[in-house]
Amino acid sequence: MENSVTQDGIATVLSNQSLDSSSVRPEIVVQIVDLKAVVNRYTFNANDGKMKIKATLPATLTSDIISGKIQNLGLIRLLAYTVNEIPGKSEEKYMLVTKCEAVAPALDSEIKSESKASTGITLKPKQEFVAKSASQIINEQRGNAAPAARMAMTRRVHPLVSLNPYQGSWTIKVRVTNKGVMRTYKNARGEGCVFNVELTDEEGTQIQATMFNAAAQKFYDIFQTGKVYYISRGSLKLANKQFKTVQNDYELTLSENSEVEEARNEEMFVPEIKFNFVPIDELGAYVNQKELIDVIGVVQSVSPTMSIRRRNDNEMIPKRDITLADESKKTVVVSLWNDLATGLGQELLDMADQHPVIAIKSLKVGDFQGVSLSTISRSNVVINPDSPEATKLKSWYDSEGKETSMSAIGSGMSPSANNGSRSMYADRVCLSHFTSNPSLGEDKPVFFSTRAYISFIKPDQTMWYRACKTCNKKVTEAMDSGYWCEGCQKKDEECSLRYIMAVKVSDSTGETWFSAFNDEAEKIIGCSADELNQLKSEEGEVNEFQTKLKEATWSAHLFRVSVSQQEYNSEKRQRITVKGVSPIDFAAETRLLLQDISKNKTSQ
Amino acid sequence: MDTSSPSVFVNGALLRRFVGQKVRTVIQVMGSDMGSVVGKSTDDLQIFVRGSPPPSLTTYLEVIGIADSENSIRAEVWTNFGDSFDALNYNELCKLANGEFKHLFI
Repeated sequence: MENSVTQDGIATVLSNQSLDSSSVRPEIVVQIVDLKAVVNRYTFNANDGKMKIKATLPATLTSDIISGKIQNLGLIRLLAYTVNEIPGKSEEKYMLVTKCEAVAPALDSEIKSESKASTGITLKPKQEFVAKSASQIINEQRGNAAPAARMAMTRRVHPLVSLNPYQGSWTIKVRVTNKGVMRTYKNARGEGCVFNVELTDEEGTQIQATMFNAAAQKFYDIFQTGKVYYISRGSLKLANKQFKTVQNDYELTLSENSEVEEARNEEMFVPEIKFNFVPIDELGAYVNQKELIDVIGVVQSVSPTMSIRRRNDNEMIPKRDITLADESKKTVVVSLWNDLATGLGQELLDMADQHPVIAIKSLKVGDFQGVSLSTISRSNVVINPDSPEATKLKSWYDSEGKETSMSAIGSGMSPSANNGSRSMYADRVCLSHFTSNPSLGEDKPVFFSTRAYISFIKPDQTMWYRACKTCNKKVTEAMDSGYWCEGCQKKDEECSLRYIMAVKVSDSTGETWFSAFNDEAEKIIGCSADELNQLKSEEGEVNEFQTKLKEATWSAHLFRVSVSQQEYNSEKRQRITVKGVSPIDFAAETRLLLQDISKNKTSQ
Repeated sequence: MDTSSPSVFVNGALLRRFVGQKVRTVIQVMGSDMGSVVGKSTDDLQIFVRGSPPPSLTTYLEVIGIADSENSIRAEVWTNFGDSFDALNYNELCKLANGEFKHLFI
């Protein structure tokens, strides 16, 4: 009777109100009917053909249901259970199954006593064994399938990690883990609106999806944070590293024709938060980058809340600073803002003396105090996470970390000279990065920092132009005397010279040409264009002009450069423009090299 | 460069591995008298340096000499390294020079 239920099985269950696996086991096989997901577990009616009883399956069996081992209309053998009364309805009982095993996959139909009694035949399982997903089971129950379930039926759900631009049709099942606001923009092609969402799948892989205009209008109200959707017919493209907020090489663009359907009444997965921790001593490379980072650290101290007035709207927002340390023996200050400062921050303050380990997802790295971290609206803080990293960190702290003297990562890290808004220690590259990527900066200019030597300044190039003293634009010699400025529409008796020069730079990986304008060229040459012109005009034994250029050669600087493409004789050419020059801070450079060495070691 | 008598980059902890050999290290000067200087190594250990120090000392001092014991050096060369010196970097250098990159150093 392999494929049939135990006669009067339910009656047996009701007379033996509990069964554990150790006791003598009455063989009870029942059929599962009306299987459905309720919050985080499944309920069903246990059927023996005569009677039914409400029952629940433990959460531990959820995977068996998803994998299709346990199916609706299938048979299970009860190994351990208890029967309870439903509060308030003493005549009605329900069974809590704590252990069971699958006996047979889905039968053709619900077992009815008549058929059994009259014919006595055993029921056959369906011809083929099909592994069924949770959504399929639900689909069966619902009969007239919901569109979402249909979508899952007809197409295989792809994990996010498998998506690529060269793939035909796919469907993904994802949770909206962050939803941006609708933004409007205006550019040469007109006005429009855009918003994006962060999607996370069951495996914790994330991807950003962007919608423009009609698609944005269409999906803005559909996407809700925390809900799960089936999505298909979107297009994938390479993620823009400058703006990416999630770890994925691709991003998704959804059009009006994309399909988005909420997955209702289904097994709802809660994506794990996937961390990609950056050690505190390696934070320098992320300063003022768009990229968000995750850290894990031991809480050293927690400040009281402060109120900060936001500059753009004068609103007061609460802030709280916490100091974290890790095995790199460095500490960093993390500013918690808004609710994180008041709610979670208070919790941290209360437990600060226990030095909890906290993991924070999605932090911005700023250059305040050298290097500091800041939460943003989608930052996620987990106190004492249950992870190997946390355990390791905690045991390090308890054994030696407590006594170790730590230094702040920011101290000594702040760049030495004015170099624009970005740190000189961010996005550092070698010259070979430019020479080996001729198409660098094709779409729009890209910025880098590089340390290189000036190796040659051609003395006979046009190094400067005559500039208007008020607007710095180029002036032309006026007919009689003086100079005419087209920009200011006026004549001036005097003009000033401003540098515009090409310099050859070299490092251990190669050499290339940089264009430098006045302020940057002044720092390279060491005097103004007017002064250099003066030297050039002086004739004599020793040419001071040549000497000045020679002095500037073979000195090293830190450069901030932009790389763009320029059309020249209908040929595209890379143009590297110096945006900032600063002297080399040897200690900071050494630290950067040490970081590289340890990075290379770990990547090997 | 004279390679006939190489000196090993050491911090306080590494010093004991080279007793009797020529070493070089940088210390933060804590105190000095006629024939010796007491300093803190880049890894926060105390080091005694014997010999004849120069008359005026800056905060950081490089010494080259023979390691007498696990915490003392008989110095032959004394060099003032100024008042701002990145001890952390130097300490890492010592570790690398005696660790897996030992082959790059003489």
